[in-house]
Amino acid sequence: MSDTKKQEQASTHKIGIYLWIWGLLFVLSFFSYLVDWYQFQGLLRWSLILLFMFLKAGLIMAFFMHLFWERYALVNVLLWPMTAIGCFIFLMVAEFEYTVFTRLFYFVVGGQ
Amino acid sequence: MSDPKIEGYEFKPGFKGMAKDTGSDQTMFKGVHWGKAMMWIFLLSDTFIFSCFLISYMKGRGSTLIDWPNPSEVFALHVGGVDVPLLLIAIMTFVLITSSGTMALAVKYGYEKNRKMCGWLILATAIGGLTFVGMQAFEWSKLIEEGVRPWENPFGAKQFGSFFFMITGFHGTHVSIGVIFLFIYAYKTFKGHYDEEKRGWFTTIKGNYVEIEILGLYWHFVDLVWVFIFAFFYLW
Amino acid sequence: MSDEYENKKGYQAQSSETISSGSGGGGSGTVSDADYVRPSEVPEQDLYHGHSFITKWIFCQDAKVIGVQYFLLATFTGIIGLILSWLMRLQLGFPEAAGFMTAEHYYQFVTMHGMIMVVYFLTALFLGGFGNYLIPLMVGARDMVFPYLNMVSFWMFFIAVGVLLASFFVPGGPTGAGWTLYPPQTILEGTPGSGMGILLMCISLILFVAGFTMGGLNYLITVLQARTRGMTLMRMPLTVWGIFTATVLAMLAFPALLVGSLMMSLDKILGTSFFMPTILQAGEVLEYGGGSPILFQHLFWFFGHPEVYIVALPAFGIISDLISVHARKNIFGYRMMVWAIVVIGALSFFVWAHHMYVSGMNPWFGFFFATTTLIIAIPTAMKVYNWVLTLWRGNIRLNVVMLWCLGFIVTFVNGGITGIFLGNVTVDVPLSDTYFVIAHFHMVMGIAPLMVIMGAVYHWFPLVAGRFLDETLGKWHFWLTFLGAYSIYFPMHYLGFIGVPRRYFEMYDSPYVTSAVGMNEFISMAAFIVGAAQLILIYNIVRTLKIGKPAGHNPWQANSLEWLTPSVPPEHGNWGEKLPVVHRWPYDFSVPGAKEDFITQTTPPSEVAGTEVEKT
Ligand code: HEM
Ligand SMILES: [Cu+2]
Repeated sequence: MSDTKKQEQASTHKIGIYLWIWGLLFVLSFFSYLVDWYQFQGLLRWSLILLFMFLKAGLIMAFFMHLFWERYALVNVLLWPMTAIGCFIFLMVAEFEYTVFTRLFYFVVGGQ
Repeated sequence: MSDPKIEGYEFKPGFKGMAKDTGSDQTMFKGVHWGKAMMWIFLLSDTFIFSCFLISYMKGRGSTLIDWPNPSEVFALHVGGVDVPLLLIAIMTFVLITSSGTMALAVKYGYEKNRKMCGWLILATAIGGLTFVGMQAFEWSKLIEEGVRPWENPFGAKQFGSFFFMITGFHGTHVSIGVIFLFIYAYKTFKGHYDEEKRGWFTTIKGNYVEIEILGLYWHFVDLVWVFIFAFFYLW
Repeated sequence: MSDEYENKKGYQAQSSETISSGSGGGGSGTVSDADYVRPSEVPEQDLYHGHSFITKWIFCQDAKVIGVQYFLLATFTGIIGLILSWLMRLQLGFPEAAGFMTAEHYYQFVTMHGMIMVVYFLTALFLGGFGNYLIPLMVGARDMVFPYLNMVSFWMFFIAVGVLLASFFVPGGPTGAGWTLYPPQTILEGTPGSGMGILLMCISLILFVAGFTMGGLNYLITVLQARTRGMTLMRMPLTVWGIFTATVLAMLAFPALLVGSLMMSLDKILGTSFFMPTILQAGEVLEYGGGSPILFQHLFWFFGHPEVYIVALPAFGIISDLISVHARKNIFGYRMMVWAIVVIGALSFFVWAHHMYVSGMNPWFGFFFATTTLIIAIPTAMKVYNWVLTLWRGNIRLNVVMLWCLGFIVTFVNGGITGIFLGNVTVDVPLSDTYFVIAHFHMVMGIAPLMVIMGAVYHWFPLVAGRFLDETLGKWHFWLTFLGAYSIYFPMHYLGFIGVPRRYFEMYDSPYVTSAVGMNEFISMAAFIVGAAQLILIYNIVRTLKIGKPAGHNPWQANSLEWLTPSVPPEHGNWGEKLPVVHRWPYDFSVPGAKEDFITQTTPPSEVAGTEVEKT
């Protein structure tokens, strides 16, 4: 695949797009920092943290790692396995809640 | 990026294209360099490693009955008489994103065969990475001074230190490895190995600027992981 | 450095003119349109050819040699696992004769036996051994795409095995916590090998994962990006599909093992409390506190269940090819077989906690995991039906290879059915941790894949060594192994039903002792015989290398590419001057209207015009 002819044909992206994404990443990082600065709590904090996190991750993957321009065959191969991780996360949330419940029940309440 | 040209193969867009690429002979990822495909699959595997770390952290933090230390206070920096929460972490994030940006540009200039520009940008990325590692070392020593250990800490649940050192340590290792490779690749770029298609070490594949993109993928991945660590460890 | 790499002239990419004039056969450029195959888009690979003994046979970059290296080292490790099982059976069947063995020894042997067999024997042998040897040949590549990395992969495995075996010689011996390594007991005093033993085990596993990742990337990229002209994914032999999917599973499942091992090592060395709750040891409160033992179980089984399919899927794939070739019939439902492999692989990431029904996890999980577990049985059963339907009305050659295939089907069905028992929570709770579970997984992932390995050895030995293994000896080997293995594991179901627990050193005076004693003696006798019967194979191989019947080209009249190399055994670079061009799937057997009962993958359509070949 180290074919020089192919590379000459591959057009590169305009520099503007990189600078834009770069700027956006700084802004989003700044926003997530502000979440802590203003000490938002509860659901608001949560949703903001996750929102900024996913936006940042998405921008990095899509543009810096070029996934936006890659063919679907590659993109799908990379993203579908994440469902297993999603399932793992979901179940482990249920699991830690149950662990806390049993610990509280037996150690604090005394198993009555 | 427009699709590469492949003799006798007509590209289709979207899911149709996916079905066609998958069903075709020879390659599934059309026009993708072997090394790049390998890096992507490796990163997928590495994602599972970091996911397992973070899931373990979630499970560990979620099930302890002892209070979790407040990261906002623990990681505060004392500047000019006031505690600024998460200042160091904010700077580290800033540095890492900066280096990610320079890396992205290095890849672009590499493909444009702009050897000088590409080399300097890789060097800048390496220096950014080095700064990050340095600041992490500073953060570690500060916490250790305050009595945080992998097995205990003065602020609350034991697991805080354990997960902190393990996860940031594993990430820091990734960054350090990346920095080493960035320096090597900067050297190779300046020497013109990619222009001359010189073979690399331990391989028969000819040198090509796509290798900069491969390195870039790794570097952006390190940044990506930091996004998650930042959100889950420092902000949560 | 680079001048060591020869750039063989013949291996240069062919010019596009010769390519567009179609497949190798034509020559004069008058090839019919039907034979047209798209030109090559993958550049020719330069290979590093070894010059000395060391670069040719030891630090070798040829996937075929690496495959054989993997095979030999995995077999060597497997033999150690076999000897450990003999020692365990000696204790269980004839405790008086095993006076030298303490309970601690027994636990250590159980643990090492399990870990060796699952990870260092079966995984390494299927993926490292068969994968390396067969993938490049079967997809028509010159070699793996990153030969150097491939070589390092083997040597990492070598070191991993070394570290594992070293744990026999450290103070305290190897770990005795069971192959599942559950904390907290794994690292508490009183468990044998809770010091250096468990540490070396973790290190060895981490090395294995690192080494495997290097190999795994090779297998995946070779299959995805380096197939020859005309070789689509749906024309690959099922062997490649099985190994490929298993490798995907490994790349995604091993991370959990790596993380678990790392955290356990830290708990041990640094005294972190990832998995360690507040706990007493010999009456004394330890420093640990607040950790989550069940987290380890989740991590372990998030790896562990895909792991069983890492072993099973290559076996599924290989057996499909063997059955098809030796029944002279195309594999029934090829596409269904491929999809079943993929679906089983995907689902295997959603069933892990069926190993944890009695662990005290969130009770709702039983519902979720029983459902997903039973769903997996559907594609599995489809595969079994398809194997049987492939045999149906086939022109069966009842040779040794076919015997192993039949043995596999029977054993696998047996083990699969007990799996359905265990998948149901209410049935599993009483059966968990009894000999019933032992019987289940030995049937399904011990004996069944072993049968496949044996069949594969008899099938591909003529390719690797150029000579046929002896049939008579082979039949002795098969019948002793098959009947013997059944004698071992079939009675274990009964032991499980009466409640005999697994991982027990002795039965003391529990109520089931009387009925278990005689059976245990019988099982142990069978185990000794089966183990010894493997010597027949070793003898057969040594004998064949000296005086075996020469096999020549394509001795089984198979279709797939590995049999179509210019020289047998294939040389480095596999294909000589020109890469093969593929026109069809590898299962065109007994095609009505064809001259012979097989049509190789490289036969162009114009040569078989008028026959009823499958459109692939
Ligand atoms: C029909 C499909 C299958 C089902 C429903 C099934 C179900 C189960 C269940 C529920 C257990 C847990 C038993 C317990 O510990 O109480 C188990 C154990 C096990 N299964 Fe399966 N299984 C199936 C197929 C397989 C296959 C194909 C393999 C391997 C090739 C396999 C290998 C194992 C192993 C190694 C264990 C024991 C692990 C241990 O505790 O040490 N199973 N199976
Ligand atoms: Cu399972």
